[in-house]
Amino acid sequence: MRASARMDVQAHVSMQIIIIGGGETGFALAKVLAPRHVIFVIDRDSTVGDRFSGLDVEFLTGSGTSDELLRRAKIETADLFVACTGLDEVNIVSCALARQLGSSESICFVSNDDFLKSENQVNILHTHFGIDRVIWPEAQLAADIERIVAAPGAIDAEVFAEGQIKLLEYRLEPGSPMLANQISELNLPDGAIIAAVKHKDVISIPRGSKQLKPGDKIIVMGTSEAMNEIQKMLRSSNVSDSDQIVTIVGGGDVGFQVAQHLDSLPNVTLRVIERDLHRSEMLASVLNRALVLNGDGTDLELLEGEEIGRSDVLISVIDDDGKNLLTSLLGRQLGVRKVITRVSESANLRLFERVGIDVAISARGAAVASIVHQIEGGKSTLLAVLEEGQAQILEVVVPDGYPATPLSAMTAPPDSIVGAIVRKGQTIVPRGRDVIRAADHLLIFCTTDSADIVRDYFTSTSR
Amino acid sequence: MRLSKVVCLIGLLLRPLGLAFVLPCVVSLIYGERSEALGFIAVALLTSGTGHLFCLIGGRRFDDDLRRVEGCAVVAGAYLAVALMGAMPYLWAGLGFPDALFEAMSGITATGATIFDDFSRYGRGLFFWRALSQWLGGMGVIALFIAVLPRLAIGGRQLFFAEAPGPTDEKLTPQIRKTAAALWWLYVGLTFAEILALRLVGMPLYDSVCHALTNIAAGGFSLSPLSIMGYNSPAIEWVIIVFMFLAGTSFILQFRALRRPSVFLKDEEFKVYAWLVVTAAACLVLLVWYDTGGSEVFALRTGLFQALSILTTTGYASADFQTWNDQAKVVLVVLMFVGGCAGSAAGGQKIVRFLLMFRYAGAELRRMLHPQAMLPVKLGGRVIPEDVMRAIFVFILFNFMLLVICTLVLVAFGADFVTGATASLATLGNVGPGLGAVGPMSSYVGLHAVSKVTLTAAMWIGRLEVMTVLVFFQTEVWRNASWRGGNGS
Repeated sequence: MRASARMDVQAHVSMQIIIIGGGETGFALAKVLAPRHVIFVIDRDSTVGDRFSGLDVEFLTGSGTSDELLRRAKIETADLFVACTGLDEVNIVSCALARQLGSSESICFVSNDDFLKSENQVNILHTHFGIDRVIWPEAQLAADIERIVAAPGAIDAEVFAEGQIKLLEYRLEPGSPMLANQISELNLPDGAIIAAVKHKDVISIPRGSKQLKPGDKIIVMGTSEAMNEIQKMLRSSNVSDSDQIVTIVGGGDVGFQVAQHLDSLPNVTLRVIERDLHRSEMLASVLNRALVLNGDGTDLELLEGEEIGRSDVLISVIDDDGKNLLTSLLGRQLGVRKVITRVSESANLRLFERVGIDVAISARGAAVASIVHQIEGGKSTLLAVLEEGQAQILEVVVPDGYPATPLSAMTAPPDSIVGAIVRKGQTIVPRGRDVIRAADHLLIFCTTDSADIVRDYFTSTSR
Repeated sequence: MRLSKVVCLIGLLLRPLGLAFVLPCVVSLIYGERSEALGFIAVALLTSGTGHLFCLIGGRRFDDDLRRVEGCAVVAGAYLAVALMGAMPYLWAGLGFPDALFEAMSGITATGATIFDDFSRYGRGLFFWRALSQWLGGMGVIALFIAVLPRLAIGGRQLFFAEAPGPTDEKLTPQIRKTAAALWWLYVGLTFAEILALRLVGMPLYDSVCHALTNIAAGGFSLSPLSIMGYNSPAIEWVIIVFMFLAGTSFILQFRALRRPSVFLKDEEFKVYAWLVVTAAACLVLLVWYDTGGSEVFALRTGLFQALSILTTTGYASADFQTWNDQAKVVLVVLMFVGGCAGSAAGGQKIVRFLLMFRYAGAELRRMLHPQAMLPVKLGGRVIPEDVMRAIFVFILFNFMLLVICTLVLVAFGADFVTGATASLATLGNVGPGLGAVGPMSSYVGLHAVSKVTLTAAMWIGRLEVMTVLVFFQTEVWRNASWRGGNGS
């Protein structure tokens, strides 16, 4: 079955894609896309090319804003143009140029919030520069972190269908009410399901007979009312939902954005630790209520002196994975309940979770996944990537002519579960007797390996 | 410091100032005071002549390159020169030199302390000049010249900030000249508004003009020894209350509010100012009501009037607060010390300085808990740089020192302690009346000549916010002073 899915994907038209910038993002994209598409990578730095020599791509040395070079990359016939250098201005200019020269679609990475401060600015990028899609990885990451902070007790959080459907991830402590029975006998509120269980690094969609164990992580999906019930159920007694103490280590792009958001929430007591003196001064001048500390996040004396252990949440977003790991471990050691860490190298993601960091998220990873999905995802939309890319939330539109089928009558692919049905603006968290009809939007939780099969299963009418 | 440049610039300022004496001359003629009119003509010619002479001596055309210390010298020198010229009409009217200089300095610095005791001896032209001098000094003569003299366009920056009251260098427009002009237009507008308002509540035209001139300038010269109490009119007092409040509010803020009134609610200094007015007035209202046994409306009006009069350093009196109880007097002394908003016509140490100092002190307390914390002092969301904070502390320190020195001099020359301390405070802060022998219904005439000269200097230093004058107490300035510049400077 797996093989047939691959066949399907290969049946996709091979696209011609130009990537400007051979950094982490460019490399990750090229790596995933190279087997099935024609890729040109352009970077100023010829030494970067060595990295790409192992991939089946064409590497060109030079500027992404040179029309001569773009023509050499056959820009006239390009299907997709991705600008992901570290310089926003270069990205924007090269996207505009690509549009002029005939590329059909362009995606632009930016990091500076000047470009995106308002909706208006995004529109300007669209109308004046012809950029089809703007990706701001840092903002995406900051938004993810904010969502997780906003769900006390949970270690991950997502919202879908305009906030009607929520997803929360919890780590089960010994003594949790979830441990008492088999899943089918748990007294879950109506409209909530346990979508996945992660036991020792392996994620699976649970059967009703499964028994949960302490230390497992569970992913729960449901309507926002039901999820509020779940939150009450699972909240350890000493977590208050009214006032949170949040500590951010690292005041870079992401840290600053998260800090700005949390600073405006009245029930959050915020502390920001930043090493660079000038950056600290800047942070202190912009943030109104937060306490900005000038020091190193790995300085145990500082962490103890400021009683970081009393924080409800520690967010470590330094530009260095090693330091993030150290800070997070120290935070955990000091008694912080929830530790959120930024990981730059995707290879480190699993390492982080293995040593007990609750949430490790990567800015680039999500962006790359969403681009890949845009190219190959067909009629479904990728809503979220979870658990270091092991699991995904897909939105699938049930095609016309699909016979109305009760869920229980379907032989759904393994490792997937329909988390919600959105029908004419209403959301249903389905039980076995609920019926799937044409034009329904399905929110499907599945492991990444089974994603292709799931897509095909729900979108083919020939059955 | 290049003295030729300083002399030339002061000359440049004095030359047109002669025109200012034409107005009182006209007033004298209207009221048939021939000899006084002659005096004003003479002073006008003398002022312009001296100015022209200075320009000739200075000898070089003014270009825009002006150093900081030269800017201070020009501003300090100009105020001194204007005070000397402004003293001439008083000398003409028969006052002694220390008295005349005191009155002129009190005018140009918008202080309102007076050595007049018998008000009937002087003509209407002289009273008009007295009021006009406060009006010119209230917004600042330098700002006026920057607004009207095109040649001061760029070098004017140094001068503008050397004269402007308050620690911040806020501007309305990128061009300093347009800022100065905008502020003067607002000032003129407010003055005419008050003349109209006072006329409407029944004050005679001449009195309305003189009071509007001294009220908007937060000066406080009145036409009778009884000040505003002499009119015995609640309506007049209410009008003056409103305009005193405006005179103590930053003109820059008022100018912005013309377009967007909501800026008042966002400005932190203004909020503290409003809060201070309400609190101080409430204290005074209760004390006056308790003390005098007058009606509630009387207590409300008088308490509010006196709180505003002292806080904005106007110095009018609608009651003889010298006769109030000590509690009320202490409230007044505290208000004298604080002063109005930065960028207003008010004197004193300015509310914003105290606001920032308290914030700084609060941050230091917090640092005890968090030694590594960054705790910037902010005002309206903007961080106040460390050097501005330092300047504020030094300013307050110098004010204390000057207060002590002045008090010592006054007490040494025969004043009692309350008179000495409050007279020093009232002149350093450009308030006007003090307590004791220099109370609102009395005059500074009884003080020793040395005391008068000391207080004259105190008004001068206080108006220019200390540093502009004290910088010349360093020998280095004078060692480096030369006529034309070159090697020495």
